[in-house]
Amino acid sequence: MPKQFVSRRQLLFEAGGGLSGLALAYLLDREDLLAAQSAGESRQTPLAPGKPHFAPRAKAVISLFMSGGVSHLDTFDPKPALRKYAGQPLAGRGEIVVRQGHPGPLMPSPFEFRRYGDCGMEISSIFPEIARHADELAFIRSVVGRSNDHVMAHYELATGSVRMGGPSVGSWVTYGLGSENQNLPAFVVIYDARGGPFGGPANWSAGYMPAVYQGTIFRSSGSPITDLKPPPSISDARQRARLDLLARLNALDEQRNPANSELAARITSYELAYRMQSRAPEAVDMEGESPATKKLYGLDQPTTEPFGRQCLLARRLVERGVRFVQLYHGGLGIQNLDTWDAHENIADNHTRHAAEVDLPISGLITDLRNRGLLDSTLVIWQSEFGRMPISQRGVGRDHNPGAMTIFMTGARIKGGQVIGSSDEFGYKAEEQPVSIHDLHATILHLLGMDHTRLTYRYQGRQMRLTDVYGVPVPGIIA
Amino acid sequence: MLAPRPLFLFLAISVCAAAPVSFEKEIRPILEARCVKCHGAAIQLGKLDLRSRRSALKGGEKGPALSPGNASQSVLFQRISGLGKPAMPMDGKLTAAEVDSIREWIDQGAVWEGEIGKTAANPLKALEDSPLPPHAGDWWSFRAPTRPPVPLVTDAQWANNPIDAFIKAALDARRLTPAPRAGARTLVRRAYLDLIGLPPSPAEVRAFLDDKRPDAWARLIDKLLASPHYGERWGRHWLDVARYADSNGYEHDFDRPNAWRYRDYVIRAFNRDTPYNRFLEEQIAGDEVDDVTNDTLIATGFLRNYAKVGFREKDNPQFRYDYLDDMIATLGRGVMGLTVHCARCHNHKFDPILQRDYYRLQASLFSYVEVDYPLVSKARAEEYQRRNAAIDARLAPLKRRIAAIENPYKLLLVRQKYEKFPANVREAIATPEERRTPGQSLLANQVIRTTTVSSAEVEPLLKPGERALRDGILAEMRNIERERPAPIPMAMGIADGDYRFAPDGPGDEPAPGKGMRREAAEGSYRPDPGKPYVPPPSYFLYGGDMYSHGSTMRPGFVTVLVKGEPPVESPPPGRHTSGRRRALAEWLTSADHPLVARVIVNRIWHHHFGRGIVPSLDNFGHTGDMPSHPDLLDWLAVEFRERGWSIKNLHRLIMNSRTYQMASSFGDARDEAGDADNTWLWRFREQRLEAEIVRDAILTVAGTLNARMEGPAVFPALPRESLESMKNGIWRRQKDGPETWRRGVYVYRKRGLPFPFFEIFDLPDQTITCGRRNVSTVATQALALLNNEFVLEQSRLFADRVRGLSSRPDEQLRLAYEIALSRPPTDKERSLGLEFLQHNSIEDLTHVLVNLSEFLYMR
Repeated sequence: MPKQFVSRRQLLFEAGGGLSGLALAYLLDREDLLAAQSAGESRQTPLAPGKPHFAPRAKAVISLFMSGGVSHLDTFDPKPALRKYAGQPLAGRGEIVVRQGHPGPLMPSPFEFRRYGDCGMEISSIFPEIARHADELAFIRSVVGRSNDHVMAHYELATGSVRMGGPSVGSWVTYGLGSENQNLPAFVVIYDARGGPFGGPANWSAGYMPAVYQGTIFRSSGSPITDLKPPPSISDARQRARLDLLARLNALDEQRNPANSELAARITSYELAYRMQSRAPEAVDMEGESPATKKLYGLDQPTTEPFGRQCLLARRLVERGVRFVQLYHGGLGIQNLDTWDAHENIADNHTRHAAEVDLPISGLITDLRNRGLLDSTLVIWQSEFGRMPISQRGVGRDHNPGAMTIFMTGARIKGGQVIGSSDEFGYKAEEQPVSIHDLHATILHLLGMDHTRLTYRYQGRQMRLTDVYGVPVPGIIA
Repeated sequence: MLAPRPLFLFLAISVCAAAPVSFEKEIRPILEARCVKCHGAAIQLGKLDLRSRRSALKGGEKGPALSPGNASQSVLFQRISGLGKPAMPMDGKLTAAEVDSIREWIDQGAVWEGEIGKTAANPLKALEDSPLPPHAGDWWSFRAPTRPPVPLVTDAQWANNPIDAFIKAALDARRLTPAPRAGARTLVRRAYLDLIGLPPSPAEVRAFLDDKRPDAWARLIDKLLASPHYGERWGRHWLDVARYADSNGYEHDFDRPNAWRYRDYVIRAFNRDTPYNRFLEEQIAGDEVDDVTNDTLIATGFLRNYAKVGFREKDNPQFRYDYLDDMIATLGRGVMGLTVHCARCHNHKFDPILQRDYYRLQASLFSYVEVDYPLVSKARAEEYQRRNAAIDARLAPLKRRIAAIENPYKLLLVRQKYEKFPANVREAIATPEERRTPGQSLLANQVIRTTTVSSAEVEPLLKPGERALRDGILAEMRNIERERPAPIPMAMGIADGDYRFAPDGPGDEPAPGKGMRREAAEGSYRPDPGKPYVPPPSYFLYGGDMYSHGSTMRPGFVTVLVKGEPPVESPPPGRHTSGRRRALAEWLTSADHPLVARVIVNRIWHHHFGRGIVPSLDNFGHTGDMPSHPDLLDWLAVEFRERGWSIKNLHRLIMNSRTYQMASSFGDARDEAGDADNTWLWRFREQRLEAEIVRDAILTVAGTLNARMEGPAVFPALPRESLESMKNGIWRRQKDGPETWRRGVYVYRKRGLPFPFFEIFDLPDQTITCGRRNVSTVATQALALLNNEFVLEQSRLFADRVRGLSSRPDEQLRLAYEIALSRPPTDKERSLGLEFLQHNSIEDLTHVLVNLSEFLYMR
């Protein structure tokens, strides 16, 4: 079998395509690490910290994914024209493709918008806490997706392709940069207490890459990782005894097979597993956090507590060197109720879900800033698509991949700005359309990677997260 | 993308002032030949039209193509020079001189005369008719293999088997020393793990050690090849290629209740040693062969294994094109070792595969429709349908009677539901249809057409008499339902038909505004027995866009691989099918196909040795790896084909070689220095057990493996967070126990949720064809083997097994070693183990044994 991380030639070939001095330097650095650990090509350290292509803005990402489809029209992209033309058909736009039922007339937002911050950003009344950070947030109001299907749209955001089976952004980032902490997984997924997002584990799959790059599910309470600890019937001392014997027997085996490099790697993996057993529970243990911090995230209120725990855990993980933390809000359960999928009633649905995330997200931004982590952490808020300016049964809104709004903060990006726009009704992106590939190129860029140079060789082709597309969004990276 | 192009060379060459570039003589020919086929009259990919200066300045999605006076700022120049991505043209690059001309032309102001394409012959035709590059067929793998002479080697030990001669000659040429033969215990364990994927029992090891006949090894191989477990082991490899799964994938991830029959067919085919050419024919055209059987119909599931979106195909034909693409990718990578699917939108960038080839192959497959075949006699199937229809007929009037009772209440409840809507909606509904504004019509239509009332909602409103009446009718209906015949076994396959007339299936949601309904006027899904069958037309699609039709395509193959007269479709008489897939199968399995035999022998070699002669199993093209032993590969391919495409014979040939029997523990400093990667096979390559085999091996040593073969999939217990993360589809909550302790090949393959224990051991993605699995060594594997409840329970049962055999610690220790590792402990291990057992239990020891590297690797 090909040893994924052992052959230097293969490593060089897969990771960089040998295209630049920088990429080469980054690889050589990894090789040093390999060499330092043991003679020959034995130790497998696929997650050793890697050097980016150029000076990065951020070294970690916290991705806040609002599953179900947030309406841009009712949150961050106000459309006065909807009030003016309320009740009239959206005419002259060709056939309107809806996901459910039949097209309705234009419907204004049930929420008021107010201006916030020095920049005067218009934000809906359901996000009063996030609005306090208006001057630090960069909105993109012209993001365009390719599918009006929840799952395919999730996959596009996750992997760049609406088809199932590609490596996720988190996998690409950890493939490119490794991890700062070898005792924790590099790419962590924390989903809603109500259940996973649309599309399930394929959202954090490593696709055709090795399993080490796939996202590891963390729970925000209890034992954080599957199989992290043995059941209570096996005491620590007993497990220690087993591990000791295992180490001694494996060492004997290694002596008998000195030429075999796989053996050392497997021994190392057990050492790492053992360290993880102690470090991972510490990382999720929020008891030591001050009451003020807990309050900041809303842990003291039942509405905000669940997502607050997810956000606080994200900060703790980033603080400990985890590279990519993917949070999902909204999940398994009753689709129209437990996700942002507001077919039935936009006012009820979005009021409830905004209340669940508003304070925790605001708290996360404040806390990251107070701890000096915001400048080195990219926080990105997104959903799988926007929603329709026309109503569904007079009260809800259907899916709309033609326009959505996302925001970024941290990573020393320029806040208080809006990039791109949607048309006067918010039906389609208008100025400066931004594709999901563009978004991915931007994320990689902020992490110091050129999306055209981060390649992985698969079936004879240098694969990219952005396929053959994508341009970093100029306003963000400027 | 592979080799960095020295761009700076031609950027720096012509710094001196150049003579004016002639648009007519230098630029127009380039634009005509290389640009306008995708950015001109036929299509404007990226919304860019390069027919006129005005349209070029207007540009496309990436902005203006030209910045007159400044080449380096012009997107056109950036793309053709390779400075911008993707590099253009898509199907090859311009010469350095051409790039230079364009740069100078733009720098000089991009003077443009007239319009491109007006003078050219039909530009579309040019796209469809583009010729193969000269010498396209010269690439090593496109030439049909011929049997090369077997090298002469002097070493008698290496002269008996032609494989050895090829390997030894290559080692000698590099002055590498081959490893000695592995010990008997290592060999017997290797043979078991390799051929049947289960470690041998101590008795089976003993039997081999005691067999002193000279052909003991050959006999062992024959015995294992005759074991039904062989098909479970080697069929599994093919199931990866066939991207087999038990669910649809995507949003609903619907269960495929009959998918497992294809899995079992593959296992049976390997056990029967179905010749590989026949095996392919059954899977591609099992419904078109002369001797159709249940198994050949089940085999057509191969093409139907694609991941599927829950949309109506006839409304959303774009998805059907993706399924066809997946079939072409699977046939390309899986059978031919070529990335044919890369030619969907343009000629292949690296291999001489024309876009036309892609659409010819698509035409060969295009007539497919999804069919569930009844696996019973025609008479029984008809009887089944008749009985069901009779029951439906008896139920219909009863349903009408219930509706008559419920309907008045339903109308009432619907009106009550309307009252809950906001005033504007109520007003829209209340307004007479002819007086509604356009917006009100939309609103009223939305609400009226989607407000429904269920029987459960009606229930509380019924008067006692009505309820009694209804309950009586329902009871009667239940009685009638009980008379339904037991379901007949069905297979999930394909047949020829016309997808435009597909009936609605589960997940199909017909509705206006959903997808793009394009219906042909007249026709039927399955061919009408009374009429000649005409396959639905398929077209050359410019840029891969389903709406940019070129010519109607006839079935055909990959031009560069066609030797002599290719087979043509001939519809089997009296049957309603085109014969197109059968022609495709005949072409693939013809004696002069350069790739099919090479690709399969290379796969078999890979699974024995951990690495193919061509390491990139699915890519024998220009971007794939070169063969380490090209002559050996060709010799094997010819031998395989001439000896009747028998895979079992190939195993015998390989495993009886000296090469296969080398030790893996051999260390030689000169070999290490000369060939660290063991490319030349100076020792056996140790291989980590595959995901399913790790679990199978644990069950085997615990003595708990339920060896029952075939049948519907099993659902081992899942960790809580996996269950919670799964939105749709099924994972039956089956209690872990003997029913789930079956081989990994029978574990449900759910696309939306790969079985976690397998996933951490590198289960490949279940939606695309995969020949070579990744092999990684990560901490989560260690955590699973240390803490997973399944592993701990099996370790306890392993301990019980050992305790049942002896009560003496030293004997228990020996037995545990023999069972887990096929050998007794060494003295050192024995003293360590006995010391350990003084303070710990035997179950602590058995748990350690299944965590040992030695347990997890085939050596």
